[in-house]
Amino acid sequence: MITTYLFYLLSFLAIMFALMVVFSKNPIHSVLYLVLAFFTIAGHYVLLNAQFLAAVHIIVYAGAIMVLFLFVIMLLNLNKETEPHKSVWLKASAAVASGSLLVVLVGSLKGAAGIQSAKTFDASIGLIENLGQTLFNDFLLPFEVSSILLLSAMVGAVMLGKKSIK
Amino acid sequence: MLLAVQSTPLDFLPIALMFVVALGFVVIMLFLTHQLGPKKKSKVKLETFECGIEVQGNARLPFSIKYFLVAILFVLFDVEVIFMYPWAVNFKQLGLIGFVEMLTFVGFLLVGFYYILKKGALKWE
Amino acid sequence: MSAIQTIPLEWYLLLSTVLFTIGVLGVLFRRNAIIIFMSIELMLNAVNLLLVAFSSYLSDSKGQVFVFFIMAVAAAEVAVGLAILMMVYRNTNSSDINTLNKLKW
Repeated sequence: MITTYLFYLLSFLAIMFALMVVFSKNPIHSVLYLVLAFFTIAGHYVLLNAQFLAAVHIIVYAGAIMVLFLFVIMLLNLNKETEPHKSVWLKASAAVASGSLLVVLVGSLKGAAGIQSAKTFDASIGLIENLGQTLFNDFLLPFEVSSILLLSAMVGAVMLGKKSIK
Repeated sequence: MLLAVQSTPLDFLPIALMFVVALGFVVIMLFLTHQLGPKKKSKVKLETFECGIEVQGNARLPFSIKYFLVAILFVLFDVEVIFMYPWAVNFKQLGLIGFVEMLTFVGFLLVGFYYILKKGALKWE
Repeated sequence: MSAIQTIPLEWYLLLSTVLFTIGVLGVLFRRNAIIIFMSIELMLNAVNLLLVAFSSYLSDSKGQVFVFFIMAVAAAEVAVGLAILMMVYRNTNSSDINTLNKLKW
């Protein structure tokens, strides 16, 4: 019973904060709402028995990526209201397009009605031991490739960032 | 199913409680100080206080890009570390193969770190 | 007691669909490149939520491992993307994407 209410609360907050990210005028407010949205998503992970993922999500998203966004906003010096507004037509067409995307996606969810959840419920799925076993046995190649991805991101960021110092 | 560790979302109740208490404390204290404290508003008092020196310009000055580079590199190494937690917990079971896997992973990132050092991205003169 | 016993899977599907659509709306609606980036993060997180929901409803830990990789990709994307954004800002002095129309046909 408690989990149902928690689901409603967290879902409502997540959707509300996501909307605030899109519609708030000040970019700094957007970033802060995004942090709150990430916290609600971490709450959903806890509800879904993915405890380690919840912790990692907070460390990576709310901790690291948000700091990066704030840094960029500080660097860009956006304290004046510089964002020119899109025309009403463009805004209306954006709303219509995403609304119809929502309708299509929700319509396609009908196919998910037949999905049976697993017979034996395993509460230890989200624990760090299980994740480690899966990661290092079944997903070895993606794991190593992701290190190359991080390496290339490092090189790219340093290349772009260093150039603008000089 | 017999498991040594059975953890459920309800185990997180103490943490949630702590969040609520911490947040409630801050909110109540801020509310009370605003309500109980005397209020005198004058022009001098409402000015920004900066150690007695007159305020110059805006606080939102664009600052050096070096901070930004450090923040970017922090994010990348942070993601590296989250891959290490599951490895460290399973260190014994994975054995030598797991160790070699992780050495390859860290090796690639060390190449990147060497590049960063060579490029002088972390230099702070 | 967990969400699995009390909440149907469809609700999670619906929630992540709505979050994803809000991300799409943000990309189409705003012109500030930083907000567009944030909307992309929102979309990635909607997908992450979907993967975790399926993983725990089907008792399969592979979905949660996918989320790790998505996080790595998101971090790399944010690092390079924001560095590009900084360069754009230095050259055009704004973060409005409509100034970047040199490659437009």
